[in-house]
Amino acid sequence: MTLLVTSLEESTGKTAVALALGTAAQARDERVSYMKPKGTRLQSAVGKTLDEDPMLAREVLDLDAAMHEMEPIVYSPTFVQEAIRGREDPDALREQIKDSFESVSADADRTILEGGGSLTTGGIVELTDVDLAELLDATVVLVAGFEDPGDVDEVLAAADLLGDRLGGVLFNDVPDAAFDTLASDVVPFLEGRGIRVYGTVPRDEDLAGVTVGELAEEIGADLLTDGVSTDGRIRQFVVGAMSAEEALGQLRRIRDSALITGGDRTDVQTAALEASGIECLLLTGGLRPPETVLGRAAAADVPVLSVRTDTATTLDRTDAVMNTGKTRDGTTVERMGRLLEDYADVDALLGGR
Amino acid sequence: MVRVPGVFDAERVAVVGATEREGSVGAAVMENLIEDFDGEVRPVNPSVDQVFGLSCVDDVEETNADLAVVVVPPKAAIEVLESAGDAGIENLVVITAGFSEVGSEGVAREAELREIAESNGLNVVGPNCLGVVSTPSGLNATFSPRNALPGRMSFMSQSGALVTAILAWAGDRGLGFKDIVSLGNKAVLDEADFVETWGDDPDTDVVLGYLEGIDDGTGFVETAREVTRETPVVVLKSGRTEAGARAASSHTGAIAGSEAAYEAGLEKAGVIRADSTEELFDFGAMLSGGDLPEADGVAVVTNAGGPGVIATDAIGDADLELATFADETRERLRDALPSTASVHNPVDVIGDAPAERFDAALDAVLSDPDVGAAAVIACPTAVLSFDRLAETIAGLKERESVPLAVCLMGGSAVEAPSETLSAVGTPTYFDPTRAIRSLDALRQYRSIRNRTYEPPETFDVDRGTARSILERVETQDDNRLGIEAMDLLDAYGIETPDGAVVDSPGAARALAERIGGDVVMKIVSPDILHKTDIGGVEVGVSIGDVEDTYETLVSRARRYQPDARLLGVQVQELIDPEAGVETIVGMNRDPQFGPLLLFGLGGVFVEVLEDTTVRIAPVSEPEAADMLTDIDSTPLLRGARGREPVDEAGIVETIQRLSQLVTDFPAIVELDINPLVATADGVVAVDIRLTVDPETL
Repeated sequence: MTLLVTSLEESTGKTAVALALGTAAQARDERVSYMKPKGTRLQSAVGKTLDEDPMLAREVLDLDAAMHEMEPIVYSPTFVQEAIRGREDPDALREQIKDSFESVSADADRTILEGGGSLTTGGIVELTDVDLAELLDATVVLVAGFEDPGDVDEVLAAADLLGDRLGGVLFNDVPDAAFDTLASDVVPFLEGRGIRVYGTVPRDEDLAGVTVGELAEEIGADLLTDGVSTDGRIRQFVVGAMSAEEALGQLRRIRDSALITGGDRTDVQTAALEASGIECLLLTGGLRPPETVLGRAAAADVPVLSVRTDTATTLDRTDAVMNTGKTRDGTTVERMGRLLEDYADVDALLGGR
Repeated sequence: MVRVPGVFDAERVAVVGATEREGSVGAAVMENLIEDFDGEVRPVNPSVDQVFGLSCVDDVEETNADLAVVVVPPKAAIEVLESAGDAGIENLVVITAGFSEVGSEGVAREAELREIAESNGLNVVGPNCLGVVSTPSGLNATFSPRNALPGRMSFMSQSGALVTAILAWAGDRGLGFKDIVSLGNKAVLDEADFVETWGDDPDTDVVLGYLEGIDDGTGFVETAREVTRETPVVVLKSGRTEAGARAASSHTGAIAGSEAAYEAGLEKAGVIRADSTEELFDFGAMLSGGDLPEADGVAVVTNAGGPGVIATDAIGDADLELATFADETRERLRDALPSTASVHNPVDVIGDAPAERFDAALDAVLSDPDVGAAAVIACPTAVLSFDRLAETIAGLKERESVPLAVCLMGGSAVEAPSETLSAVGTPTYFDPTRAIRSLDALRQYRSIRNRTYEPPETFDVDRGTARSILERVETQDDNRLGIEAMDLLDAYGIETPDGAVVDSPGAARALAERIGGDVVMKIVSPDILHKTDIGGVEVGVSIGDVEDTYETLVSRARRYQPDARLLGVQVQELIDPEAGVETIVGMNRDPQFGPLLLFGLGGVFVEVLEDTTVRIAPVSEPEAADMLTDIDSTPLLRGARGREPVDEAGIVETIQRLSQLVTDFPAIVELDINPLVATADGVVAVDIRLTVDPETL
């Protein structure tokens, strides 16, 4: 049995859902395999660009398939460019994916496929998630966010595209304020239109944002403070380009934030240490702040990270971290597993119908 | 309890880490102590038997010292503190560096040091400092190459290097000290401890300080306020500018606190601020003379027209006045001076004046009732002997208690006469501006001494309601509250526009009719935080439109957030800012000094004109009233251009009530009432914005 987990947009918790389902299937004594046909969350390892999600899948689901088979196509900017110039042959790519799939799923009772980016990613080479579901005969689990009833349009359009391949919809990361409307009005509406809703998973603060440690790893930052916890969670970034006088006022208004500022802006750095919502200082330009400031940061239990890039580039990179997936470790998958047990019909999800 | 005097009054000093090794701190401290200290010196070093001929012990515990100076590496320094604690040695000066100034590891070490000090009741200076000096006993427990001259000023510095520089510079100018301390990292003893100590010290006439940051501003204000009633405190606080603040935060890791907060904090503490090191010691020397001016008038007596004019400008720039002489004074001057001399202020005794003519002129002006102080400005001439002039003025000092500042505007010839005058407590200068500014420091101190402190008034308020309003922030994504928190002001008795929450279009109309005129209508829902964003606020609704607007607001809210609990619609009196003066009353919580209250011209003018003034809360009624006269736009409040004067008492009470609110709730980190519209009939708060730190609630 093959499940394809896809989503309407990036950053909706696809990886966490896919791996949590894989884990749930393993708990039901199934042999599980995993594949992400189009790698989109790229991380440059030495000599080869790879997607992080299959790497995490290998770890979480304890798989030993070769990386190149778990991720046959690296959907990198270079790949896209070549495809547009007509240098990639869609038929050959389909064959390649099919071969990899057969190899990966050979001994498995169930294969979990994770879509790349959003439902429509891959159209350039005729390999959207709709195409893949058809190619690999998969049942589709559509992961969608929900803020207000207007979002239903997108779900209906996706259902149209997927047709019979759609197993159902799983609403994820639903804010408290929208939860009741979704459950009492939207779910019955969709079911009335013949669309199954597997569940509505509320927003979970533990899954939002990244921890300081994850951030440091993602952007390759050096940690300048010893013995300070990097478990604090960051949900937004704020740039410290203001005057010292203004800094404190502005920084006090926000929460769960990392301050991005130059390593030489000691005035803004020390102000940030007074603002309880600043979880981390991210210093740019490769300038190490004076030890006195690092000492104050350590005393305030605020970790200090340093990167060599300038503030603008750093902000682009941190935005990218926030906007592409956030599942970084097994704990996130475990947490999602519990949320699915509580708020979704896991048997139905695994049953595919 | 901190008993700092022990640090300066030590009789037996142990030097832990004493050595003869040339160029080492241990050797320099030993040499300084051996050279001048009247008491006993005990070197501590387990590796040698003797240091500079004094027998050495292995451990500080083996000495019966009452002060231990520690120069061993940081790890060992911690052990020394423990031994000292066990041996009952209560006073330590930790010169050793390698604590919080070196990052995380050092922070942990400094925390350990503080803990040992606190649990053993130790007075610790430093770490990372130059040491201490106390001239009565010749104690020079520093590694500075020079010792201090005896005197009546006591000096603390957050920069050790500045202490060595000052010792060298002051020594050449004959400036003496009672005690000196290099504060270092201020792990245990800080500026407030020394201000308190010297305030109690009969041998200290004036306390001087170089500070880059004050960690516990509130505590400092409290202590210094008491001390400055009797003993003047002058501080050079660096990091005043944006770039300076950044440099200071880089040097000590201290938060670049707002200059406005320091200004207000030091002013509340009764501390006089100096702008340069030269001015710090100018003020110190003048204040240690003891005499304070009884009037603001200054008499200038000079043999040089130009420098007299410079002095007159400086008087204008300061809060002093050029004294206006009584007829009798002018008569006496006429009798004493040649006909070409000026008998008006500044008094020009003209170029051919010998010292005696200065004497006669001074004699006349010093008894004038309008003269609180005098500046003598002398340029070198063939007939004027500076030595003779100095002796004349020294003689005058014995008869008169009017403060004098003397400018001897010459080269090396001024050295001997300057010493003569310094010996009788009269400082000398080259520049007349410096002389006048020093006299102004005396005037400042006189007004500080004459201050009366009133306790802040306590109003009857509803704290419970206020707390529940502030707690709303806990269910939000950020820390801000806006107009939906107006009821916070009601809870603290600050007038807000007339109105109420109603739950039907009919009731809205009835209320609007009662209020009369156009109204403001706002949706009320605990679930809708930013009403304006969803079109939940309508301003200037006429009576005829009230019912329709009610329906519109409710339907917009329903559309935006269907599950939001709607409590109704607030119908509020429309306040026309044009009808009065728009002011701002606000607060910004400073990390060092606590709540900083702000008052000024409000509305759109705030950012353009920046006509505002600040005070540290809590404020008393006179302090709040003082804020109204402190801005440039005071005449606007008092009915400029034929307008009616506004209700000043209403503004003063609003400031006091806000002061109470922000003192009661440390979680409020900033709050602006802008505008607070003041009319002849009263004041009303039209809008509010605040930031609440949920972790402090």
